[in-house]
Amino acid sequence: MIHQRRRLRNALLYTLLVIVLVGLVFPVLFMALTSFKSVGEVNRIPPTIIPRYPTLENYPFMARAWDFPLTLRNTVFLAGGSGLAATVLGAMAAYAFSRGTFRGRTLMYGLLVASMAVPAMVTLGPIFIAYLQLNLLDTHIGLILVFTAGGMPLATLLQFAYFNAIPRELDDAAAIDGAGRFTTLFRIIMPIAMPGVFVSFLLLFIAGWNEFLFVFTLSTSPDTQVLTTKLYTIPPREADYQSSNLDLVATAGMFVLLPLVPLLMLTQRQLVEGITFGAVQG
Amino acid sequence: MAQAAATPPAQSRLQDIFSSRYAVFYVLVLPAFLLRMVYSIIPIVQTVLISFTNRTILGGQYVGLRNYEVLVRDATLIGSLGWTLLYTGVSAVAETVIGLGIAVLLMQNLRLRWLSNFIMLLPWVVAPMLAAVAFQILFFEDGGILNAILQELGFGNAAVRWLSNAETARFSVIVMTVWKNVSWVALIFMAAIGSLSKEVLEAAAVDGANTLQRFWYVTLPLLKPAIYLVLLLRAMAEVQTFEQIYGLTRGGPGSATKTLALYAFERFFQQLRYGYGSAVNIVLLLLTIAIGAIFAWLLYRSREI
Repeated sequence: MIHQRRRLRNALLYTLLVIVLVGLVFPVLFMALTSFKSVGEVNRIPPTIIPRYPTLENYPFMARAWDFPLTLRNTVFLAGGSGLAATVLGAMAAYAFSRGTFRGRTLMYGLLVASMAVPAMVTLGPIFIAYLQLNLLDTHIGLILVFTAGGMPLATLLQFAYFNAIPRELDDAAAIDGAGRFTTLFRIIMPIAMPGVFVSFLLLFIAGWNEFLFVFTLSTSPDTQVLTTKLYTIPPREADYQSSNLDLVATAGMFVLLPLVPLLMLTQRQLVEGITFGAVQG
Repeated sequence: MAQAAATPPAQSRLQDIFSSRYAVFYVLVLPAFLLRMVYSIIPIVQTVLISFTNRTILGGQYVGLRNYEVLVRDATLIGSLGWTLLYTGVSAVAETVIGLGIAVLLMQNLRLRWLSNFIMLLPWVVAPMLAAVAFQILFFEDGGILNAILQELGFGNAAVRWLSNAETARFSVIVMTVWKNVSWVALIFMAAIGSLSKEVLEAAAVDGANTLQRFWYVTLPLLKPAIYLVLLLRAMAEVQTFEQIYGLTRGGPGSATKTLALYAFERFFQQLRYGYGSAVNIVLLLLTIAIGAIFAWLLYRSREI
């Protein structure tokens, strides 16, 4: 009797699990499958889910249309550079908040937290006008600065939590050995808190990779485009305008997603740790 | 965050600030702090100032409250405000309810743990713009996959106008948003459930409460702070949504899915009406602050007990 009920319960739970997982994966999976379809198949009615005659022809076509190497380089440079800058600057601020008692500490911490609630759209206008006047539109440095500033609250708060868990006796010992605050931070505290530092960089890198609005408005030339803004320029098929270009749209989407998949697989645990930070402790 | 207890006299205060003992902390904290302020708080002040002008790309002058007088009679703005509230409310609540359900399901020690973790992270790692691309493919109307599946299941032969009909487009946009965020919510709830004390749940089990009773009378009340936190974070993110809606519908058809952020973008960046666009942005900012304040208060109260 109890056995039967458990079997029934398990059957129900696994059915639900399959429904949830299929629902979550289907939009991305179908995009992946569509990218392997030919023009003919993508315009077929009724549509197929799994491509009958899978082809890779869309990939080289889109790579040329997008100037993929340049776009990828821009994206990695922007996401990586701003992620690194925000992590280092955020670590410095986090260390000061964690160890220092100085005037304005509470106010500065509070403003950093509050600034997270500011909608990007509200800040974008004045930033655009300022960039126009300072000739910072269409520049890598201009974009890196925006992204770095955007990631600052997360980098600071996340590393603050990790640094706080490190006993202050270590700082005192380092001070006795003659180490200054910077040496203590970069040589002792950050290496010990490396998991937290890494999670911070990882989250900022992914956020930078996925960011669209700022690049979309603050840059216009192909030299500074990134993968997400390129999603905006998917070429129609020149040969016939009658047919849809969903296969190309899907391939473009794969260009944005695919580089992140190995990262996702390798750092699952750290990502979950970073995402759920704050939910439990604070 | 306790400040130093005693306030030193003014003279030594200055000395404190410039003495090397404190100076190093300012050197550490100021680069991050100033950069963030330059890109967040200062632009807000500028947005407020610009909203009192009729500035365009060619310049402009102070017009007092005129933008706001036009604003309260702007039918597009009022429609956009209503839709933003509807979208925010429905999305945040749906994400929280479904996310909590998924979290409870995944806490049952089922197999496929690695696969389910990977799939859970997938919608989270997808860029908002990319979510729009994926759903553009799903919602393709003539010969699209969703319509084909519906027909296969026997829901009639008429193709659903997922994106070209106002009502369904609003529904489609909410579906996309919920899909994108629900697994994030579930991950937060899984962490929250994992940190609950096992003893309370076991005590309830000993007292004869069944699974459903344990969840309703024990787990759910204990999760109240987490639920308010999730609602706070989701509502504040949803109310300022721009990217995925811009990617999927451009705010259309008509203005059906035009959130405040999309409307501000249209005024500011497409029509280059800086003054009016800034006034719309102020509405968005006030709405965000209001939502944040309401939920922060609820969260604060739920933790006092």
